[in-house]
Amino acid sequence: MHGIAVAPAVELLGIHKFYGDFHALRGVDLNIARGEVCVAIGPSGSGKSTLLRCINQLEMISAGQVRLSGILQGYRERDGRLHELSRRQISEQRRRTGMVFQRFNLFPHMTALQNVIEGPVHVKRQSKSQARRRGVALLERVGLGGLGDRYPNQLSGGQQQRVAIARALAMDPEVMLFDEPTSALDPELVGEVLDVIKDLARAGMTMMLVTHEIGFAREVADHLIFMDNGLVVESGKPQHILTNAREARTQAFLSKVL
Amino acid sequence: MLAMDNRQSEPTGGAERPVVRNQVVPRRHPGRWVAVILILIIVVQAVHGVATNPNFHWGTYYEYIFSPFVMRGVAWTLLLTLVAMAVAIPLALALVIMRESGNPVLRGAAWFWVWFFRGTPVYTQLAFWGLFAVLFPRITICVPFGPELISVDSRWIVTPAVAAIIGLGFNESAYLAEIFRAGFRAIDRGQTEAAQAIGMSQAKIWTRILIPQAMRTIIPPTGNETIGMLKMTSLVLAVPFTLDLMFATNAIANRTYLPVPLLLVAASWYLVITSVLMVGQYYLERYFGRGHDVIVVNGGAN
Repeated sequence: MHGIAVAPAVELLGIHKFYGDFHALRGVDLNIARGEVCVAIGPSGSGKSTLLRCINQLEMISAGQVRLSGILQGYRERDGRLHELSRRQISEQRRRTGMVFQRFNLFPHMTALQNVIEGPVHVKRQSKSQARRRGVALLERVGLGGLGDRYPNQLSGGQQQRVAIARALAMDPEVMLFDEPTSALDPELVGEVLDVIKDLARAGMTMMLVTHEIGFAREVADHLIFMDNGLVVESGKPQHILTNAREARTQAFLSKVL
Repeated sequence: MLAMDNRQSEPTGGAERPVVRNQVVPRRHPGRWVAVILILIIVVQAVHGVATNPNFHWGTYYEYIFSPFVMRGVAWTLLLTLVAMAVAIPLALALVIMRESGNPVLRGAAWFWVWFFRGTPVYTQLAFWGLFAVLFPRITICVPFGPELISVDSRWIVTPAVAAIIGLGFNESAYLAEIFRAGFRAIDRGQTEAAQAIGMSQAKIWTRILIPQAMRTIIPPTGNETIGMLKMTSLVLAVPFTLDLMFATNAIANRTYLPVPLLLVAASWYLVITSVLMVGQYYLERYFGRGHDVIVVNGGAN
């Protein structure tokens, strides 16, 4: 079992994804080490978000393997064949990852605090008082102390997204996934969300981000990947890729966004 | 950043000068006044005409409005309405969940149920449920093609009250299933995904996330259906079930040869019950509207 100790937090091996005939991911390999921040950039439709959603099984992969800390996701290997896991087992696996969506997806019928403690109370079965104490602290951490009683529609976009981050953190995930977390925000609200993500990076959280904020990617990424047409075209240190990309497609994309 | 200013802040033109509001004479609406006077005249005429008309037999109305026979009818009608809805709502929910299933047999069964119960008249259905004990004298639980385990006389199970409730409830479930389906369809897919992402089980996603949100859009049409059901209970004479309000007032009318005051008695009670149901609906809507009907504050953007 020594393999598990050195296994990367996230390991993607030859991931393919088809939607009908459309080949959305065409063989993606990617490792994210524990404590590493991996940022995916690339044009719309390049498969970045799909790849992210494969990690927590919101999309079922068509070929390949997803492993978190060495553990195969979605299937059990037996007699050389893959057996689909039950829904309950998949739900349990999903608790190891936290996800933040482009459109926040807060539960509108619950207050900010109720959103945050929903998972701990109803999935992890923590006591309500314990979850509340932790939830209040988490809202404090994302800079929303005192706003726990607000409903999502009483909060600005940036505040809603920070509640969504607190909600994901409340499950104590091993990996945080961010799917264009600032794309739906007014420009002046982007900074407050990025600051929270930077704090998480400093605290050593393993993260994968899909973003269009190239400046932010440069600042926060340990590892940058550029995706196009369902493939990882280029991968490496952000300063290398952003300043002297090898691939023509990367250069063409960066020339438009930088 | 988040200060909620209750006062409409008065634009001060930058300086400290007080604002002098425009003095305005409000617009006049002579057309509206003509309409109001016309309506008042019609209302007074109508009330006078009904109240003083001897053909309405108001004496008989007052004699029977609180009679024990009528009161028993009111109680049964209310009971039938509530129990039939209590049967229909879980059934409709099960139908909606079946419609969302990946299994074509479950989807097909739910589709067939809705097709059948919406497609046949409720009067016919009630008559068949009333005949159930004649058509199937014994209800038997047995191993298919094997020995029987339990066998009961149908008459003891499908009594007229049970037949009425099953008939009304099954019919209603088909209509409610469509209302519920629309309610669940209106929820953003991201809600399910967010719940899945925190590792919620499918059952919890339904009970904690989807149902509370669907309630907001489901309640107004379901309130409509409940009020419709109240009046549909008058069809249970097809079973025949003979204790409901409409049957009671009709029986008195046939005895006294005075249908009009007894129809008014029935109508008055239906109105009273409808009003009570509307109050209940108001509170349900308020509860499930939480998070939606509150003041929207666009915090950081101000």
